[in-house]
Amino acid sequence: MVSSLRLPALTSLFSPSFTRRSTVSLRRRLHLRPPLAAGFSAQSAASSPTETEDRVDSKKSGRVQDRGSTDRVITPRSQDFNAWYLDVIANAELADYGPVRGTMVIRPYGYAMWEAIQDYLNVKFKETGHSNMYFPQFIPYSFIEKEASHVEGFSPELALVTIGGGKELEEKLVVRPTSETIVNHMFTQWIHSYRDLPLMINQWANVTRWEMRTKPFVRTLEFLWQEGHTAHATLEEAEKEALQMIDVYTKFAYEQAAIPVIAGRKSKVETFAGADKTYTIEAMMGDRKALQAGTSHNLGQNFSRAFGTQFTDENGLRQHVWQTSWAISTRFVGGIIMTHGDDAGLMLPPRIAPVQVVIVPIWKKVDEKTGVLDAASSVAETLKNAGLKVKLDDTDQRTPGWKFNFWEMKGVPLRIEIGPRDVSSGSVVISRRDIPGKQGKVFGISMEPSILEAYVKDRLDEIQSSLLQRAISFRDSNIVDVSSYEELKEAISLGKWARGPWSASDADELRIKEETGATIRCFPFEQPQGTKTCLMTGKHADEVAIFAKSY
Amino acid sequence: MENKLKSKSNHLPPFFVEHMAGGEQKKGGGEQKKAGGGGKKKEVKKETGLGLSFTKDENFGEWYSEVVVNGEMIEYYDISGCYILRPWAMSIWENIQTFFDAKIKKMKVKNCYFPLFVSPGVLQKEKDHIEGFAPEVAWVTKSGESDLEVPIALRPTSETVMYPYYSKWIRGHRDLPLKLNQWCNVVRWEFSNPTPFIRSREFLWQEGHTAFATKEEADTEVLQILELYRRIYEEFLAIPVTKGRKSELEKFAGGLYTTSVEAFIPNTGRGIQGATSHCLGQNFAKMFEINFENEKGEKSMVWQNSWAYSTRTIGVMVMVHGDNKGLVLPPKVAALQVIVIPVPYKDADTQGIFDACAATVAILSDAGIRAEADLRENYSPGWKYSNWEMKGVPLRIEIGPRDLANNQVRAVRRDNGEKTDISRVFLVEQVKGMLEKIQQNLFDVAKQKRDACIEVVKTWDEFIKALGQKKLILAPWCDEEEVEKDVKARTKGEMGAAKSLCTPFEQPELPEGTKCFASGKPATKWTYWGRSY
Repeated sequence: MVSSLRLPALTSLFSPSFTRRSTVSLRRRLHLRPPLAAGFSAQSAASSPTETEDRVDSKKSGRVQDRGSTDRVITPRSQDFNAWYLDVIANAELADYGPVRGTMVIRPYGYAMWEAIQDYLNVKFKETGHSNMYFPQFIPYSFIEKEASHVEGFSPELALVTIGGGKELEEKLVVRPTSETIVNHMFTQWIHSYRDLPLMINQWANVTRWEMRTKPFVRTLEFLWQEGHTAHATLEEAEKEALQMIDVYTKFAYEQAAIPVIAGRKSKVETFAGADKTYTIEAMMGDRKALQAGTSHNLGQNFSRAFGTQFTDENGLRQHVWQTSWAISTRFVGGIIMTHGDDAGLMLPPRIAPVQVVIVPIWKKVDEKTGVLDAASSVAETLKNAGLKVKLDDTDQRTPGWKFNFWEMKGVPLRIEIGPRDVSSGSVVISRRDIPGKQGKVFGISMEPSILEAYVKDRLDEIQSSLLQRAISFRDSNIVDVSSYEELKEAISLGKWARGPWSASDADELRIKEETGATIRCFPFEQPQGTKTCLMTGKHADEVAIFAKSY
Repeated sequence: MENKLKSKSNHLPPFFVEHMAGGEQKKGGGEQKKAGGGGKKKEVKKETGLGLSFTKDENFGEWYSEVVVNGEMIEYYDISGCYILRPWAMSIWENIQTFFDAKIKKMKVKNCYFPLFVSPGVLQKEKDHIEGFAPEVAWVTKSGESDLEVPIALRPTSETVMYPYYSKWIRGHRDLPLKLNQWCNVVRWEFSNPTPFIRSREFLWQEGHTAFATKEEADTEVLQILELYRRIYEEFLAIPVTKGRKSELEKFAGGLYTTSVEAFIPNTGRGIQGATSHCLGQNFAKMFEINFENEKGEKSMVWQNSWAYSTRTIGVMVMVHGDNKGLVLPPKVAALQVIVIPVPYKDADTQGIFDACAATVAILSDAGIRAEADLRENYSPGWKYSNWEMKGVPLRIEIGPRDLANNQVRAVRRDNGEKTDISRVFLVEQVKGMLEKIQQNLFDVAKQKRDACIEVVKTWDEFIKALGQKKLILAPWCDEEEVEKDVKARTKGEMGAAKSLCTPFEQPELPEGTKCFASGKPATKWTYWGRSY
């Protein structure tokens, strides 16, 4: 009975003619609405056409306006990954485009995912001895210039404030792209002796990088992140800290986001501007492109030398401190979206999902309504009291089938259906988002609170680990071991990741990038045993590297 | 006037002296007793690098600047008006945030994030609004080496950033209410007197923006939020505030009416707006075309609210509770509620004392009390006392040989210096009780001081006199905008003009025929007046 109510799958509603359109029609449409037109016209004036390739397509904003009459259509993931990504972001109400080119509005559903990331990490940071604080967003340009490679790396992307309160500013101010410089400026004043070390802080903040090519969550002019900054007395301590934090990120990715990242070290070419070593977690997205999902840098003494950040050691000698910095941003939300999901939309890991269980009451006759709604509310109450994030979709504007599709598209891990027959039998029907159709559906689960609660919690745990397992097999089946440049090229051209021994030059690495579009994502911490010869030069290599195209 | 002032200044010094003396006495083994008298404080400062060079009563401004830095709340920075919020301040912010965020989530407000960057077109959409903010806007004009074609503003507040989206997202009555909040930074490039927390060019805040189908719903929410703000001040920061409504001149630019919680700083005689909850009416809805189809299928405009509190809360807390030894933190918001300090003597069982300190911290932490031990060996107990007093930790626990022998600890309250020996058997209950008492006492003392500053006036002469005495003035008023402008003009001076602070919701009786203190016209209400931050 329930499945007969099901609407045609979203995929069958999709028509190829609805694929992404040029941005022109969007603008035209938006210009019809005066309030937004003001924002977008300012933005379009400030941007060239190539910069807006990821702009939302026309049909969706059109649909948002006549929502209620049309169903939401998303491009199948298997057909056009990028279009699917943008469709999902718009239709699942994760984000909207901001008024200025390349910025975005994070809507509550997307922001709740960020909050789940924050809640977990904030606790871990405190457990590992870090304190939160807040540095100003404005940095004098002269600070940025102090560390040579840092300014070189960031200067093209800097947003500069030159006018404030109606006056030209004496010194132009940088809207922080990252805070190493201001942090060091202050560390220099706070650190005197070895007793002041280690100094370990973190801040949750917004940062700005004036990027040309943008994509919601993945690369935006302004994004939210946490940035940790630490100072230590020895290189060893700094190295230990940098590794500890990449480990925190790795655990988070696996256990919470169900993303089987590969942790490793960046090549010299890919190392952060101003760092000695950069550690990274690299995630494979559904289109097999790599996403750098978090980084932890051993900054060595580069910034402390540039800023004169010194301490008196136990022997009374002045030494430069050793530092780290590490960050995870809203980009990670993009990583979650692009790791999981299918043609029907999002598929959220239960530990990240803003809604873990959606309850859809089903009634046909008016006299059934009250009984069904009462049962649904009490089930919702039971699960809420058990600490779960529950949504009861009791609107009567939509058919149950429409609701099924809608919440599937939003990626809610579990759906509970309650109809009149379920009420009389005191049971519910439960469907898993990760297993489509009948296989994922179980009938006759008792409404009895203790039974239901245990069942739901077990299923959520199963979904959490099944998403991870699925992502692991996907990742592993798309990494190819290569021993020559030819093999590497072939793997990359097939859209896969290539893993092979590497000891060649930076120039060779750049050549690979030019010729294949792939970069060294990392030298993974987990290395195969045995002797290795460099895939490029045939000379001895200590390590294998992973090559891939990336976001 | 003399009398009043005297009683106020009489109030503090004995309390202060008694406190200082107490602290010195207990230092015992750690630091030798200093010679008494006026030079004492100076010496402490010299020897320990601690202490303040200004007193709260004599040089309030300097005292404040010093206490926020020495208490490790703030670090000054090369850009005027921008400050670094150190962990000590940040954790207070986080404690308040945790309370407020949970409360608004219960009200079904959802968090989100809108961009920092505002295009000029959107910014200028609402005229009155932008007139209020335009002079303070900071502009990004360059990216890298190249000039932007259109300069981009940094949000001074987000009404104009958010409302175009409200227009897009709200279609029918089922989309209402729309209740969003964001935690973010905002930028207001002001030139007048930057003061840490109180007036800075960048600050942290929450801004809630809600849209409703009816004015009644909006009105209700304005007051619900205002009540949460009152609780932040009174229950968490232990600061008495007055709930009330702003005058036409002082209300939010572009809004319908503004309510606020108002605090008062007795030392400077200035009122300070603690937080605001605005009903925007339909003005923004009109400008941004935020319409919806109501249940009858007719097009109508939404009713909107916006509400915010900022890191200013922390500044008010410092000003109200701080004393000549430094910060005084209310237990509910303090990062650290109890600091445990070992007081070893030469021949004493040092290890035993240190173990007792660690055990005390463990027991308190298990009971949910934020406690730490200061076991640094390179500082004397006396230095540590001053250090943690400067940082304002509500309760200090000292453990020396005698305490060890008696299975007790000595607890010293930061707010009044009171010392109590506590048996370790009843440690948790006693400490909890003391923290509650401290919280209550801070509020009571602050309320008593504020109430002592309230002066009811009926005539202009009385008003001017009270203003000169740094009073919080309650006066009958005709509620005319021109009259308030006139009051401002007539009181202009070095100290800044007086203005209306708020019309309290709790109105004393206004006898028939009462005249406005400023215009002589019939008064319609009692309103608070004074200089303000």
